[in-house]
Amino acid sequence: MKEVKMARPTNAKPPPSDSLIECFFGNPLPIYLTAALLRIVLLVYGLWQDANSPLKYTDIDYLVFTDAARFVSRGQSPYDRETYRYTPVLAWLLLPTARTTGDPFWDVVWFSSGKVLFAVADIVAGWLLVKVLTMAGAGKNAMDATTARKFAAIWLLNPMVATISTRGSSEGLLGVLVTALLWAVLARRVTFAGLLLGFGVHFKIYPFIYAPAIVWWMDAERMSTNPGTPEKKTNEQQTPMGRLLSFITPERLRLALVSLTTFLGLNMVMFAIYGKPFLQHTFLHHVTRIDHRHNFSPYNTQLYLTSAFPSLSIWRIESIAFLPQLLLSCVLIPLVTAKKDLPTSMLAQTFAFVTFNKVCTSQYFLWYMIFLPLYLPDSSFLRHKGRLGISALALWVISQGLWLQQGYELEFLARSTFLPGLWLASLGFFLVNCWILGVIVGDAQGK
Amino acid sequence: MRERITFVQKLGESLDPSTFKINGDSLTGPQIKAAREDRLTWALEELPYELQSLLEGAHEIHIRWVSPVAYEAVSPFLARLPPGFHLFFTPGAGTKAENTSEMLCSVLSEIFGGIHCSSPTASFTRLPNNRFSHATALQYFQPLSSLSGFIEYSKDKLCSPSDSSCIARLDRLNEASSLDISYDTISHALKGAASWPYQPHTIHATSRPRSRTEVGVLSADKPKNMEPHELGISGLLTVLGQDSSPSATVFTFPSRHRDAESGFSIKFLEPTGLHPTLQIRLDSNKPPSTDSYCSPHAYFTLPSTVFADKYQLDDDLFLASRNLTKLQYISQPVDLEAPEYVMEKWGSSILVELSPPNTEKSAPWTAEIPLHLRYLSPAQGGYHKVEVPYPAVFWACAAEEGTKFPTNPFEKVNLGYDGLFGPRTVFWHVEPRPEAGKLLQNAVKVPVLDLDKSQWVNIVTAITVLIGFAWVSWKLGVVYFASGHGSSAASSKPASEKKKQ
Repeated sequence: MKEVKMARPTNAKPPPSDSLIECFFGNPLPIYLTAALLRIVLLVYGLWQDANSPLKYTDIDYLVFTDAARFVSRGQSPYDRETYRYTPVLAWLLLPTARTTGDPFWDVVWFSSGKVLFAVADIVAGWLLVKVLTMAGAGKNAMDATTARKFAAIWLLNPMVATISTRGSSEGLLGVLVTALLWAVLARRVTFAGLLLGFGVHFKIYPFIYAPAIVWWMDAERMSTNPGTPEKKTNEQQTPMGRLLSFITPERLRLALVSLTTFLGLNMVMFAIYGKPFLQHTFLHHVTRIDHRHNFSPYNTQLYLTSAFPSLSIWRIESIAFLPQLLLSCVLIPLVTAKKDLPTSMLAQTFAFVTFNKVCTSQYFLWYMIFLPLYLPDSSFLRHKGRLGISALALWVISQGLWLQQGYELEFLARSTFLPGLWLASLGFFLVNCWILGVIVGDAQGK
Repeated sequence: MRERITFVQKLGESLDPSTFKINGDSLTGPQIKAAREDRLTWALEELPYELQSLLEGAHEIHIRWVSPVAYEAVSPFLARLPPGFHLFFTPGAGTKAENTSEMLCSVLSEIFGGIHCSSPTASFTRLPNNRFSHATALQYFQPLSSLSGFIEYSKDKLCSPSDSSCIARLDRLNEASSLDISYDTISHALKGAASWPYQPHTIHATSRPRSRTEVGVLSADKPKNMEPHELGISGLLTVLGQDSSPSATVFTFPSRHRDAESGFSIKFLEPTGLHPTLQIRLDSNKPPSTDSYCSPHAYFTLPSTVFADKYQLDDDLFLASRNLTKLQYISQPVDLEAPEYVMEKWGSSILVELSPPNTEKSAPWTAEIPLHLRYLSPAQGGYHKVEVPYPAVFWACAAEEGTKFPTNPFEKVNLGYDGLFGPRTVFWHVEPRPEAGKLLQNAVKVPVLDLDKSQWVNIVTAITVLIGFAWVSWKLGVVYFASGHGSSAASSKPASEKKKQ
């Protein structure tokens, strides 16, 4: 009853601004232009701040990338730059930033070209979101372009997203890779999807969690171009062996083959060029790092404790922590939700991966934010005038704020807030995230 | 063994030779205010066997200990280093060298007590090797507040229990401002030099059997023929057991270490946080020498608990806002992420060029060095105290073209920073003054995980993660049992598919 009451006013009298909004989203130009303008303004502002203030707008990571690119441009290894922990591809992509012309103006332009690349990647990711939303046969009804653009605006016009990419963080590249992967899968472009998946995992490891979801989603029925075959298949599926055999479809094999070849091929090329430092910094570092510095992860306090007294702990937390994380993000969530709603499954998987990770910083939030425009349209967060959504957002912000406040006292005021403040705040934030994850997963029901 | 005892007074202070009493192998005189240096030289063969075998595997070794207690330096003993235990070391070649490297840290710990290095490979840092410097290959540093370990060790090895004068002399090292021990393969001799601050001393010296002892009672002087890059000294020299009366002497020599005649102090800006900023406050922004190019520098030896980020100190605007010109040198490697409890290297040394503000008249000014604390091991109470030693602060001035600086009898070489400059650089030292108390070090309170509150961490973290995991799994279970793992949109087509689940 309530629902109807709430819904009526918005339907009954369209406020004047509505038409303006419709007009804005009605055709593609305004939103992309605004998204681009937002990034240009931030980029130029950043240049001004960098030139005039000792407090820099540019992210430290960007200096790491561009230093690495400079090493590459001199024929050296990007790993000659300390704390460069990425694939050499990133340094290669940023090679233009190492260009010097002798003219200070053009030097700055070249140096900023990486940020432009990241910002463009952002916008392309947003454009792909619209494509996915308006796609027919994606498991749900295709959305009209105007509504799709409204939801894509969550990403495209998000100041946090625009700031992160214009400060020079490479997460925007991940956004475009992951949305392109999703689009390729939904469009049944298996080879392209395999290429993207292999490259994505090589680039940042974590996209491997999407592999089980995509493979599971790609059943014969969905991938078949003529829907007349299912009856024949049901007979084969009677025996377990038959089921297993029918699971191995040509498309799944192709995806596995292409993605593995891409991933291994890239790794072999990089290893051939840069040798052990490549393996050490891109992959092994993530296994051996001890993650003792304070971050949002619920495991953080425990990891600090065990890293300082390795002999005291009976079982090593590091060896168990990945169990709930991988069980949720690679097995349980894709198994239950991937076939119902692939984008939601990928959102939930990423959310689980980040929430249960041994280390968690705010840039990781971008990894799941890219999926929000795809999930929100028919999520329970937006029902009832979005009351649940507002509560969830408020809880997410407040619990994060509590942690940040404790972190500030530690980092800047040198107060020993590790226990209990920071620890409890990280556990609180974790539980809020788990609750949100539960709601997301619950939304898969009936799809 | 040869010994030289030198008392040095300030300019204008001198002593009447008639107040001396020379009696065979001893000399006594009145109490005077002076700096004192005792310099002893042993041939390798005169040393205990274990020390001999250790030194034979070293090409060059310099141990320099500087007291954390502030002291006034007097010309020509002007060279300064950060307070603590410094070691500069070049290993020799061959199997003896391997043996030396293996033993070095444990022998040092036995001699000085509480030396924390494990081996040169693991704990020492490499010094830059350029064509100018005759610097050693490796460096080690750690704070060490007193020589008590060394005194006890030396008493045991050098003095017979009945030799009270030997024991008394070693005990006097408790008040020493610095101690230097050097060995190199070229001289094949071990040199030890201890110095005491400018304070009242009673002149007294006795030569020991089978040794040559020379006593100098000198004061700083400015003879007429002295060049600008030189220091002058005059006074009385006596070789005990040989001279019946002191002989007057006056000489000048070029010196790379001079007195800038100004001071500085250090403090940490509050609140310190995990990224404390160290502020250097200097009395004067005017160079000590006007006829050559000078620029002020600070040389730090930072223990592994704290470090500077070379990437942060690379931006001109950032540097200028803190009155810095450039990070001229930082020892490598400096891990920017590792916690202190996994660090093997002793720490890092940095040389920062400071940028004095340009004012017409001399004025006090400050420069700020941003540092970063490592995570330290958890402790009861939640805090650790970290002591950061004062840097050596000096104006580096370029001497005139063609000036030569042959080593003089008072000069120290291999100080860690001298090798970072050209051979014609003169160091005008600024006197360190304690910010409070009398110690040349600053404490930072480092927040760490409080062990008193840590007993619930493991269990509560585990339970929380399990609750979160269980909640999400429960929701997944609800979805699964309500609508299976297939798509309801797809399963609406073949109805048989849905029943199976």
